[in-house]
Amino acid sequence: MPVFARAQLRRQRINFALFLGPALVLLFLFFVAPIVIDLFLAFTDMGRTLAVGKFTLENFERMFTRDTRLLGALGVTFIFVLATLGIFNVTFALLLALVTTAVPPRLGAFFRAVWLLPRMSPSVVYALLWLWVADPNERGLLNQIVMHVFDMPPIDLRNNHPLLVIILANGFIGASLGMLIFTSAIRSIPEHLFHAARVDGAGSLAIVRYITLPALRWPISYMTIHQTLSLLVSFEYILLITGGGPFYDTTVFSLYAYRRAFESGEYAYGAALSLILVVIGVLAALALWRLMDMKQLLQQPRIEVH
Amino acid sequence: MNWKHALSGIVAGVLLGAATTSALAEDVVIKVWSRADRSGPLRAGNLVAAGDTLNKMLAATGTDKRVKIELNETNAKGYDDDALDLLKAFAVDKGPDIFVLAHEWTGAFAEAGYAMNLEDHIAKNPEFYGDIIVPLWQAVSYKGARYGVPQDSEVRMYFLNNDKLRKLGKTDKEIASLPARVDAGEFTAYDLCDLAGQAVQKGVVKYGILHRPNAGPDFQMMMEGFGNVPYDKAEAKLQASKAALKDFFAWVKYCTDKKAFSAANTSMSWDAIEQASFAGEQALVFFHGVWRVTDQTKAWNLKGKDDYQRKVTWINAPAGKKGGKPSNLSHPIAYAVSAKSKNKDLAAYLVALASQPIPNMHHAVTTNHTPIHYGQQSMPEVVDKGWALVAATPMLKYASFMPNHPKIGQYNSIIFKGIQGVETGRLTAQAAADFVAEELGNELGKDVIIRN
Repeated sequence: MPVFARAQLRRQRINFALFLGPALVLLFLFFVAPIVIDLFLAFTDMGRTLAVGKFTLENFERMFTRDTRLLGALGVTFIFVLATLGIFNVTFALLLALVTTAVPPRLGAFFRAVWLLPRMSPSVVYALLWLWVADPNERGLLNQIVMHVFDMPPIDLRNNHPLLVIILANGFIGASLGMLIFTSAIRSIPEHLFHAARVDGAGSLAIVRYITLPALRWPISYMTIHQTLSLLVSFEYILLITGGGPFYDTTVFSLYAYRRAFESGEYAYGAALSLILVVIGVLAALALWRLMDMKQLLQQPRIEVH
Repeated sequence: MNWKHALSGIVAGVLLGAATTSALAEDVVIKVWSRADRSGPLRAGNLVAAGDTLNKMLAATGTDKRVKIELNETNAKGYDDDALDLLKAFAVDKGPDIFVLAHEWTGAFAEAGYAMNLEDHIAKNPEFYGDIIVPLWQAVSYKGARYGVPQDSEVRMYFLNNDKLRKLGKTDKEIASLPARVDAGEFTAYDLCDLAGQAVQKGVVKYGILHRPNAGPDFQMMMEGFGNVPYDKAEAKLQASKAALKDFFAWVKYCTDKKAFSAANTSMSWDAIEQASFAGEQALVFFHGVWRVTDQTKAWNLKGKDDYQRKVTWINAPAGKKGGKPSNLSHPIAYAVSAKSKNKDLAAYLVALASQPIPNMHHAVTTNHTPIHYGQQSMPEVVDKGWALVAATPMLKYASFMPNHPKIGQYNSIIFKGIQGVETGRLTAQAAADFVAEELGNELGKDVIIRN
């Protein structure tokens, strides 16, 4: 190998280490390593003292034969993910993007900033606000409205409709990400298409239907997959607002695994449950990938348009 | 500043640091782990004070050696969470030398090899431990040996708001007769819910009975009235009786239907419960322990015993059926010494100093926890400021302890889930009893016996 080529190869390697190294280290530390540790723990009997006594399949035997709460947790997760995603993180985000790009730019920017506020505040503060909104006493924001504006008795949303509370809380914060991505996608549609449509006599709705929405196909698909996976494992707001209760009403699968591990001190069982969550996540991602034909997105474009 | 200055600054800093370290070389560091608890700051405080006492003695001997107490006050929301955190800390070799724990966790720490067997230490130092109230030792014993030193004791009770009872039309005579009627088995747990429910339905109060919002020891005394004995001494296992569970949850359902229990109770914060029970006066009955007298006195600005008793009545947990026995629960907090500590003996002596009558009395009278020594009962300060403790002591006649089993924390959480299920309308009485029996079997496996 000529000296020049060797030097080039070395530089390539250095560049690789320099530019991709940090990302790879992070990926390994926070994505690969936890899964490997989880896989290991799931087959042990680790309890409160963190000691591993033996390797066993007991956790899985318990999960599939005796754990009566498991199906319930899966059901709650399904409703939670589907509703949050369907109503807020995709549909409502799309609506926000359409509306805020249709109004004058300054006004649009203002509303987008407002919707971003919850994402900017710390989770605990956001959760505390929700606790205040849904407080069953007359002090709660919702009850102040219900009692003084509509002259109705106070309602206890957290006890009577706990799933609704966590869907709303997650949805209001989750919609902003989709809103941003959809907005930038709408902005990147060539302006002349809108003008041409106007000239052809298309109304606002027709423009949305025939120009905007087709251009948003990929962002929507991407958001759906991304948010499904992120909602599957997110439970911080649920833990802070309802604690998974009342009873097990809002205990989604990830929270269930967390509680078994950290509240009962059954770390191995928690790990085994998390492993199931990893499997569910992978299956959901593959299914959605297939369903949305994401492969096509990643293909080389057949013609390059300049 | 140029780089030379900066460098000389760093060198000076390092030298100074080295000098300080060598000056501290004679210090023996004792790490203390204690949950930051508003209802007992002196649990850890007395250990720190014990360090000062010992240092005075050391100074008198002319040595340079000093004891330095490093206090880690954790912010776990309860003793169960704290114990789990502490077990984790021990597992990764970050355990303290002395720790404060709820007595029922003694078994878990002894079993894991983290709590030191104190039999030898106690036997060799009768001058320190000779006057400790004998039954309290039972609370820190595991498999026949003592692994802790009781730090305090208490009495639990239902607190009834007399003003609200009067508003409900009860005469002072009727109110005054309540404790005796409970003890005689005339006034049952059902009667209590009828009374509390009536108060809610008549609009006298918003909440009939408010209990703790999380898992904890209190419910054991509620359940005892229905015949549930949580521990089988002969087998050294936890136990639950299906029939007793059903009777108990039938009562919870009854109380919930009567509006004596509120669906909101288990989702309220401690702060909200305290506000509603004390300053807010929104509850007829508040269920906790004698140390709450401190909060009540403050909230209602009460002056001494007579004033307090005009405002509040204490009762034991009534029996489930007429003619049954009432129940009570004492839940001591304890000191334990780490078996892994390099300075075990020193740590044990610090515990001994912190447990002496005077420092312990300060904890007792400032937080209304019953003292641990027989002799403390007659201390002028206890008689004067601790009138509530003296007054509550007769209730201990009906008291039991929680079983000293490593898995009692999980047992309590499952019971609590059942109660929450019934109170919030998720479970019927039968479903709750089934749920508890099933979960106990699932989660505790061989550690629990489910009886019919």
